[in-house]
Amino acid sequence: MKPAEIAKPLGVFVVVILVILAGTAVLGAVSGGSGTSDGANVRGQSPAQFQPGQVNPDVDPEEGEITVDSPEGEKKILVDNRHGNLYDRDDLEPVVEALVEAGHEVNFAPDVDSGDGFGSTGGYNATLQEYDAVLVINPTEGFTEAQRNGLQTYTENDGRVAVLGEPTQVGVSGSGLLASLSTISFGANDLTSQYGAHMGAEALFNVDDSANDNSFKGVNAVPDGTDSLTEGVDTVTFDNPGYIVTTGSDDAEVLYTAADGTKTLDSRREGTYITAVRTDNMVFVADSDFVDQSEVYDADNEVFVSNMLNFLVSGDKPDDVPETTGENSSDGGF
Amino acid sequence: MAASSDSTSATTVLYVVVVVVAVLVATVLAPVVFNATAGSGDSDESSVAVITLRGGTSDANVAAISEDLREARNNDSIEAVVMRIDSPGGGVTSSEEFYLAMNRTAAEMPVVTYVEGYAASGGYFGIVPSDRIYVKPSSLVGSIGVIATLPSTLEAQNAQVRNALRTGPDKQLQTIDGVREQLELLQNAFVGTVMTHRGDELELSREEVSNAATYRGTEAVENGFADDIGTLESAIAHAAEEAEGIEGDEYDVYYKDPPSTGIGIILTDADVESTNGSVVYVDRNEEDTGPEFVPPVRYYAVYGIPKSFVDGEVITNETG
Repeated sequence: MKPAEIAKPLGVFVVVILVILAGTAVLGAVSGGSGTSDGANVRGQSPAQFQPGQVNPDVDPEEGEITVDSPEGEKKILVDNRHGNLYDRDDLEPVVEALVEAGHEVNFAPDVDSGDGFGSTGGYNATLQEYDAVLVINPTEGFTEAQRNGLQTYTENDGRVAVLGEPTQVGVSGSGLLASLSTISFGANDLTSQYGAHMGAEALFNVDDSANDNSFKGVNAVPDGTDSLTEGVDTVTFDNPGYIVTTGSDDAEVLYTAADGTKTLDSRREGTYITAVRTDNMVFVADSDFVDQSEVYDADNEVFVSNMLNFLVSGDKPDDVPETTGENSSDGGF
Repeated sequence: MAASSDSTSATTVLYVVVVVVAVLVATVLAPVVFNATAGSGDSDESSVAVITLRGGTSDANVAAISEDLREARNNDSIEAVVMRIDSPGGGVTSSEEFYLAMNRTAAEMPVVTYVEGYAASGGYFGIVPSDRIYVKPSSLVGSIGVIATLPSTLEAQNAQVRNALRTGPDKQLQTIDGVREQLELLQNAFVGTVMTHRGDELELSREEVSNAATYRGTEAVENGFADDIGTLESAIAHAAEEAEGIEGDEYDVYYKDPPSTGIGIILTDADVESTNGSVVYVDRNEEDTGPEFVPPVRYYAVYGIPKSFVDGEVITNETG
């Protein structure tokens, strides 16, 4: 075979290849193609800060139980409904259950729900006489002077009183354009001031996850000193706490202070904030949600609630205290 | 005559064989040539890609931005990315997607951000892996927090759920405690990401960052949320300076069109589908979950007045 006979087919061979490849190159350049296949480069992203140990919150198990002693005889506990008290009776069911289980009696006065008008016609002191302890939750209306005097006498004679309150806050009712705002304030400062304690001006918050309960407004508090009301408690958590200012010559004993790093919500002042005090037979807590069904088993709340209920049922008030002479028209009644 | 005809036939067969073999060989070589020429862009010169996000970190917007970033990573002529952003954030899940796409890109090439307006909440989540963040005095960054929107009738909703036939006590039930735990989890990932990428620059503690305040540009430069006062050109110049494949001023700037979708979170009716190599991306719209069911609680990494304020929902606020 002559060289020319090889060269021609070879030339055609090369030309065909070149034409096809040139066309392919032009096509590739024009279309832009898809570049490097992304599939070959896919690398799973697993940033260190996204790992479960860094992200999953420590969830405090809701466990424990409320235990109430059964001291001599059945005790009667009055839950105040007279002073614009903002709470749901349903939320108190665990507390009522524990008291009833221990043999005590719990009454709501006046009993708005049943409409039986319990105590509505009698005087305030007359009603107090019937009870060994009074639980006042989130009062938004004040106590009259006669009522305050009656309670003062009551606690001086081993009657027990617990006041649970919240700081001033803005409430929203309705929604959208129909939403209306209203300011809700603690109404019992006149009463608690008699015992050397006053509700502070602001709510508290703490953004440190180890010092709150899954919310910056759910602030933890720790015992300060020793008292039957702090016994067995490492940490309690308050869902919407304020702080208490101790006043005057009456020495209120500090029970709990908010965790380190807690600040006031509006003015952002960091400090040591008192969240619960005791003055003899009166206990004042700057939060009213810790007794609720949804909060009572968080942290050591059930221990604190048990201590508080035992405090309420351990009094030994005489039946004729406070005296009722001539009081029906002046004490505001129930 | 017969010999001549035979010769012609043999020659024809030879050429046919040659052409067929040539085509076969070319077929084998063609993909190599195609890949060598494709993907090199319209220009041989190295370039900085400017990708723009104006709007919320919605599913659709983030999907589009992620596609742009993927294209930048796979285009050999693009040596660096500038993210031009004006975003108040959006859903937590899509904001995390934004972050992951930016994080991956920043692992491969310089990524520099210019905050045109907002880079707040989920918007900041996305840009936090940037090598450098430029702001102007009116830029707004921060708001490192998560909010949840839940029905104002949560109790009524739960009562209805309790009456439904269910397989377990937690099925479909939403509690405030549960929502708070979810918020804390999402917040941990968000704040952890900010501290991971900006911890050395920030003058603020983790707790202070968690307060979820917003900061104007000049404040942000002081507290470490941003690096410098500058313009888009500053960001482009810095990106080019940091890019290994760019020498001096020898580079092009390639402006990618911003996503056409707005701030909304609604996807188009049709599924969005795209292909890249062997990977197929299909974004299903929300209708695929069934029109009878909607998420009972929504979580947002967003700054602004929630639309839910006028929709009759209430806001549970974790940090800001």
